[in-house]
Amino acid sequence: MFNIENLTVRINDKYLIKGMTFTVPKGQITAIIGESGSGKSTTISALLGILPAQATLEGTIFFNGRDLIDLSRDERLALRKKHFFTIFQDATNSFSPTLKMKQQLYSLTALRLGHKNEAFLAKIKVILKDLNLSEDVLESYPFELSGGMLQRCMLACALYNEPDVLMADEPTSALDMLHQQEFIKRLKKLHTQLGTTVLLITHDLGVAASIADFILVMKNGEIVERGQVAEIFEQPKHLYTKRLVANHF
Amino acid sequence: MRRGTQRKMPIIWFVLLALIFGLTILSSILAPFEPNAMDMNHIYEAPNGTHLLGTDQLGRDVLSRLLVGGKVTLFIAVFSVVLSSIIGIIYGGLSGYFGGTIDAVMMRILEALLTIPTLVIVLALQAIMQGSVWRMAIIMGITGWFVTARIVRSEFIRLKELEFVQMATMFRTPLWKILFSHLLRNSFPAIFVVTIFNFAGAIFTEVSLSFLGIGVPPAIPSWGTMLYTAQNDLLVGAWWMGLFPGMIIFVTLLCVQAIGGTFKQGGGRSHV
Repeated sequence: MFNIENLTVRINDKYLIKGMTFTVPKGQITAIIGESGSGKSTTISALLGILPAQATLEGTIFFNGRDLIDLSRDERLALRKKHFFTIFQDATNSFSPTLKMKQQLYSLTALRLGHKNEAFLAKIKVILKDLNLSEDVLESYPFELSGGMLQRCMLACALYNEPDVLMADEPTSALDMLHQQEFIKRLKKLHTQLGTTVLLITHDLGVAASIADFILVMKNGEIVERGQVAEIFEQPKHLYTKRLVANHF
Repeated sequence: MRRGTQRKMPIIWFVLLALIFGLTILSSILAPFEPNAMDMNHIYEAPNGTHLLGTDQLGRDVLSRLLVGGKVTLFIAVFSVVLSSIIGIIYGGLSGYFGGTIDAVMMRILEALLTIPTLVIVLALQAIMQGSVWRMAIIMGITGWFVTARIVRSEFIRLKELEFVQMATMFRTPLWKILFSHLLRNSFPAIFVVTIFNFAGAIFTEVSLSFLGIGVPPAIPSWGTMLYTAQNDLLVGAWWMGLFPGMIIFVTLLCVQAIGGTFKQGGGRSHV
């Protein structure tokens, strides 16, 4: 689905990503793990085309055979709207502070899919209930909800949208253990039922181990190791991966 | 306890400012005398039962002129602030949203304008356009938007990097909707604070220019023109001519500054 070759992102002389080459196979969950500052989130920003204006992007990002870098802004936007959904790391900033959640969830889901308000309410209420969120959430402002609740609201949007590709940047960072497990369960369900391709960014090796099919290990903007979950966690080769695994388990 | 006291503070200032606004807006009803009616038999009368704040050199009632003059001063301040806010929001918003070369050019122009003291620009324009309350308000409006533009620009730059704006862009939300519903709407707390301080500045500018004799024409009562005429009256011992306009200007500015200061302190919470 995604075929990334020699992806490099730099700001002036500082390299954020150095020559990354990897694939995200269709219908699989690929996790990128690594410490903070290793370039995980920058990778997602590069794939989404939302890098800061001063950043320079090199390499190729093929999605279903089309190089995203060569597309015009409108073509890229159309493609993203049609195929992708993103759960950002900071759930608090994922919603406008001055608009009620109902309006925002509607914009992120039904408006995109062309659903009427009644259909939206019927579907979103079921999803929210499934995620242990009350209907009151719809009439709340983001600042009235916790980080975990907002993160679950983002997942609700993802479940509603049923995207071809879900990019999730540290989606469990604001969740407690109980909700983390619930989140993973829902994500797996989305993946299993709809065959959604998932690109998961996480520094939580436990989350990666419990959900991913394939793992990429990043350090200082480079992929230092890649492999199936069992390979990475049971027989890590790179010293950095060994250290990560040893520290976690 | 301290928190409770801090919360009560703006209410006091709000009430006081609302009272001043109310009195000036209703000045045509509340003024005991026609503000321009001369009575040469009662010139320079100290405050008394008939003329509560005394009379001026032409026997005009100071209280009536203070109330009507407030309407002129506050009108100029409100109009100029609305005008400067509109210009500042458009200029700063475009600069912040588009960024890059457009932002760089617009900011250099703004910095060039900021190097010239606003009062000098106002003085120059006033020298050319002198003559009416409207012109005065327009001059202050077109010279008072610089700070607003900078604030709006920085808010737009901050907000456009946030995830909800990026998601709106990703979902091909119309540009006008992103600008108004996301960027401008969430910039309002900051714009509100700067507007309050601009309002205080506008009152001060009107008073200063009129005090120097180049603001509102002397025939039209305003707090500034009252202070202007009071300069000579103080020499003949008519202390009430300067004291009451000075007090009302002081209290009004104090209220506006206190309200602005309170909102500025609470500004962080609005971005949560």
